[in-house]
Amino acid sequence: MSFTTVWQALISGLLNGAVYGLVSIGLTMIFGVVKIVNFAHGEFLMVGMYLSFALWALLGIDPLLSIPLVMFILFFFGMGIQKFFIRRVLNAPDLAQIFLTVGLSVLMINLALFLFKADFRSVKVPYVDWTFSLAGAIVSVPRLIACLGAIVFSLILGLFLLKTDIGKAMRAVAQDREVAMLVGINPERMYNFAVGISAALAGAAGGLTMSFYFVFPTVGVSFVLIAFVIVILGTLGNIKGAFLTGLIVGVAESVGVLFVGADLGLAVVFVILLLTLAFRPGGLLGKA
Amino acid sequence: MQRSDSGNTRGKIERYLPWIGLLVVLILPFLIPLFFIHILIMIFLFAVLGSAWNLIGGYAGQLSLGHAAFFGIGAYTSTMLLRSYELSPWIGMFFGGFFAVVMSLVLGIICFRLRGPYFAIATIGLAEVLRLLALHFRGWTNGAIGLTIPFKGDAPLLFQFSSKIPYYFIILIFLAITLYVVRRVEKSRLGNYLLAIGQDQDAAEALGIDSAKAKRRAFYISSFITGVCGSFYAQYVYFIEPESVLGLGLSTQIALVAILGGVSTVWGPVIGSVIIESLTQFTQYAFAGTIYGLEQIVYASFLVLVILLRPTGVIQWMQNFYNRILQGISKSYASRS
Repeated sequence: MSFTTVWQALISGLLNGAVYGLVSIGLTMIFGVVKIVNFAHGEFLMVGMYLSFALWALLGIDPLLSIPLVMFILFFFGMGIQKFFIRRVLNAPDLAQIFLTVGLSVLMINLALFLFKADFRSVKVPYVDWTFSLAGAIVSVPRLIACLGAIVFSLILGLFLLKTDIGKAMRAVAQDREVAMLVGINPERMYNFAVGISAALAGAAGGLTMSFYFVFPTVGVSFVLIAFVIVILGTLGNIKGAFLTGLIVGVAESVGVLFVGADLGLAVVFVILLLTLAFRPGGLLGKA
Repeated sequence: MQRSDSGNTRGKIERYLPWIGLLVVLILPFLIPLFFIHILIMIFLFAVLGSAWNLIGGYAGQLSLGHAAFFGIGAYTSTMLLRSYELSPWIGMFFGGFFAVVMSLVLGIICFRLRGPYFAIATIGLAEVLRLLALHFRGWTNGAIGLTIPFKGDAPLLFQFSSKIPYYFIILIFLAITLYVVRRVEKSRLGNYLLAIGQDQDAAEALGIDSAKAKRRAFYISSFITGVCGSFYAQYVYFIEPESVLGLGLSTQIALVAILGGVSTVWGPVIGSVIIESLTQFTQYAFAGTIYGLEQIVYASFLVLVILLRPTGVIQWMQNFYNRILQGISKSYASRS
């Protein structure tokens, strides 16, 4: 195995990893604020990709340019899911919460199947095969844009949570719901925002990947499984942890594939998860 | 007088009703069409799986989303032993159960310290690794093409029957044994330990309960039953492939049967299975091949609706319904006499 192969794997891994990170921070944020594990998170991504595809197919808007609009729509879509479904099981047993989101996931996948059939769809943009060479590794331009976009959106989220009033209120609810209520924060509203923002970020990830990836009804499933591994390794509720672990998992997957073959890439990710949890039950960054 | 008389007849009916129910399930397969026998077999199969899952996910409160791992191990073990060594699945099924127990040991080492979602996602990971390995090692498992069971016609010694009725009675016996085991566990010290762990693991440990040991024992029973069911399924449908016997979809369906019916109860998973399996089979029968995804849309909407209305399962409803029927019968009986 030459140095170039490993270097190439490292670069591709980082490019994928940033997108994984963007999908994962939404998932970890819902857990941090609303305290539920959202099994339908991958479907937010799927809806975002279909929106992005539809805007390109019907109006000819480039998927990168339509990202703000996709995020806007997904924000309200996420809020609706919270308002009409998740809110009703917040005091129910964990089992019911998880199965509500599983049910929503199956429902959304099959609505997509109903509307768009099982076909793989992709957009055609002029820059899809632009590449350049970085010290021997080939870098794909759309993937690089996706990676940079993911970093930018993650930073914006970080700033939003640190600097704005709503961001601070959301962190307060995540830390202690009762105390947050005492200082006049309405937790229900923060839950709506958290799920809305999380869906918007998944939508952004959809728009960023649409230029070089296919969309099909179950596209979210493979993403969400990796995102679960990432949020668990990065400790549930930890946004910085989720993004960093996203990069690590991206690299681990693409380097692992060099050793075991492409069809076991996901298995590498899961084995890393299981080995880490065997020694550190709280995740990489959590308490041992 | 009237009241105590009515109470007396009610007690009598309550005593006889289970036997009438048993008689019905014993005669039923000879009276109904083939398709309904198939539905009943699937109902019983998932009732067994849900009951086995209930020991871990219900009583002990450990949300396993990886039970397909045990099922798949059972299915692949008996099938591969049959294909390679012509070993009868009647024996292979015990090997399947045994290897599923070995798998539960591996799971225990990794997962028993994990809580809540960490445990759930680790169990998904374990089952997914098995599924991906089964897809990868084509030399053994035929990958995504799957393995077929060589058809021998009516061969009871090889667990093969041309009629569905023997399968019906085999899975009915499995169900009876499983319900008996769950009932025994529920009444035993282990059952109390599991309930305590499910309520609050730290408090249970503070009282001196060895939580890892209790979970391990519950997992032995649960994984063995699930593995044996895997062998049964392989013999019943004559074909297995990684997605259907090791996939996440199967794991969630097993858990769902118990959750929808009502966890930590003996009959909850049975009721859940009756509802979910008849719904799946019905929607498949009614909508399959008409419009893409419609069957699953109906199915998933129903699930979401039930969970929103009854987050703790439908068993309470069923119990009220059962009581009302008993009351109705005893009242009409009393008024007539």
